[in-house]
Amino acid sequence: MVDPAQSLRRARLLRWAIYGLTSLVGIVAFAYPFFLPALASSGGSAHAVDSPLFLGLLGGFSLIGLLLEAQGDAASDAKQTALLGVLVGLNAVLGFLETAIPGPGGFSPIFFLIIVGGYIFGGRFGFLLGSLTLFVSALITGGLGPWLPYRMLVSGWIGMGAALIVPLNRALRVQGTKWELVPLALYGGLWGLLFGALMDLWFWPFAIGPETQHWQAGVGLGDTLKRFLAFYIATSMVWDLVRAVGTIAMLLLFGAPTLRTLRRFARRFVFTVVAPAPEARPGIPEAREGNA
Amino acid sequence: MHPVVWFVWIGAAALVPLVTRDPFSLVIDFAITCVVVDAIRARPFADIAPAFASPLRFALFAVLVGALFNGLTSHVGETILLRLPDAIPLIGGPLTGESLIYGAINGLILATLFSAFAALTLAVPVRDLIAYLPRAFYPIAVVSAIAATFVPSSVRQFQQVREAQAIRGHRMRGLRDWLPLFMPVLIGGLERALQLAEAMTARGFAAGGGEPQSRSAEARRGSSTLSQVVLAVGLGAVLAGGVLRLLPGGAKWRGLDLSLPLLILGATATVWVVWRAGSQVHHTRYRRSTWTGVDVVCILSAVVAVLPLMIFTFRGGPGYSPYPRLALPTFDLRLGLPLLGLLAPIWGLQARQATTQRVEKPDRTGFTAEEGRKS
Repeated sequence: MVDPAQSLRRARLLRWAIYGLTSLVGIVAFAYPFFLPALASSGGSAHAVDSPLFLGLLGGFSLIGLLLEAQGDAASDAKQTALLGVLVGLNAVLGFLETAIPGPGGFSPIFFLIIVGGYIFGGRFGFLLGSLTLFVSALITGGLGPWLPYRMLVSGWIGMGAALIVPLNRALRVQGTKWELVPLALYGGLWGLLFGALMDLWFWPFAIGPETQHWQAGVGLGDTLKRFLAFYIATSMVWDLVRAVGTIAMLLLFGAPTLRTLRRFARRFVFTVVAPAPEARPGIPEAREGNA
Repeated sequence: MHPVVWFVWIGAAALVPLVTRDPFSLVIDFAITCVVVDAIRARPFADIAPAFASPLRFALFAVLVGALFNGLTSHVGETILLRLPDAIPLIGGPLTGESLIYGAINGLILATLFSAFAALTLAVPVRDLIAYLPRAFYPIAVVSAIAATFVPSSVRQFQQVREAQAIRGHRMRGLRDWLPLFMPVLIGGLERALQLAEAMTARGFAAGGGEPQSRSAEARRGSSTLSQVVLAVGLGAVLAGGVLRLLPGGAKWRGLDLSLPLLILGATATVWVVWRAGSQVHHTRYRRSTWTGVDVVCILSAVVAVLPLMIFTFRGGPGYSPYPRLALPTFDLRLGLPLLGLLAPIWGLQARQATTQRVEKPDRTGFTAEEGRKS
């Protein structure tokens, strides 16, 4: 007989191992371009040809692992599936409005709901809300492409990480007060900038190309970083700042009523199916405990 | 045409810019994808597909920006066009023809990817894109289908709320004025989610019907633990392989390169987990897409089109590089000519159109005859 507490602990350990590993694979994928020039100058130019392909594979593995692990709950719960589906649809509409009525710079309203959703409904829900929002809005607006797995991965991280603010807020004793929005807004602002930088990294191996530096002696990690910084400031900085400020403003202005609404619905989503006695109706499954 | 044809086609067309920097191959691939986009746009009812920036306009932009950025920040090469004062950080120094050309090729790569995926999005409806997700991601496909279904009604609801608020004298002056629009839409959406959840529960969604019920809960949990362990091991192998590739000396252990075997091991484990999760999902298809001979020809020609280029690249054939001294790329007919096979979907589209005009019921033609071939 297996001790239930022990098996529960083991399952949790396994789950954290998968989350940790997928995140590390994703980080390696995003950091990869920085190492390319150093690789090329040390004679490893054989990697030059397949690097965008390799990069895409790493990002893909990270995404597949996370999706497989995170989707488990949704599969076994009609409430989660319905809530997630509707919120993703709603958020995709927000993203759609963004393309239809272009706001200033890189402002995008989708991060607001992703952060708030992850904060209220937990990390797995936040991850799925983030990555599926970008998936569905790419399907609708025609944003399919090799960049999609990266966008899904990063926006999933945003929703997943928002769940970590819950213990932080509990430690700060601000949960349920108006100050609880401040850590959320800071988090949103940080990701507003980081999202753009990570998306630039996807594009980076195309922009830089290892051969560029092949003919310069002594090009290392520092120089690549410097060039990336210049690229980032030149192409994306202003754009991303607008996104960061916009997300902060949305969280501060709309945060309180949205949190209130979502908490109310989180309570309402707890309903239990009480089936008649199982032997009387063999086709009906046993009553399940609802927990949202 | 069958959606799978388009998936194979996009795989082939997008592979070219991912593996080669040869300008001739890139230009041919780009031109072909543009022509295919045009052919799809010419179909009846094409106007309901999402609107795109024209691939040509995007290409112009990408090539210009790519050339400028690389030209200004990379000062390598022998053909010096002009010299910017060294006092300017980063962009100061010689502006070389080689770096401009290299940057322009970067732009061309991006433009080709963009226009190839534009063709895919125009050609395959959202319904099919979701339906052809791997079976292992069945919960995600359900959520995506719900979301995609709710998009039109959410847009409608947003318009209704906006009109209702406008009647009450609501005006858009700042960011704060979005709140009276956003909250009713959010609450309305959540109400509909609640109704949907109740309806799904009432119809027995995820209530354990069908095949999984035949096995005990314990066995199911055990098998999912096995999948999780394999997934964790596979991810660990991918991570180790990826990190080893980054080490400058390469990953040599007693003279053996470890990174590739580790990556292959990780990939195999992940694919196995996806296959295993998929094999536990049983599903049926409503309105199957039909296979015709035209589809098979299109798939074969897409594969044959990129095969020479792939073989050439992975046998270490030298790709084009403008460095260190600008030279005209050589055009290899053996690589360029087969690429024209990517044009096959145009012929396929016309053939399909001809059939639909002749036959009254387009979705049913060849249904039973071809059913056995599909899985």
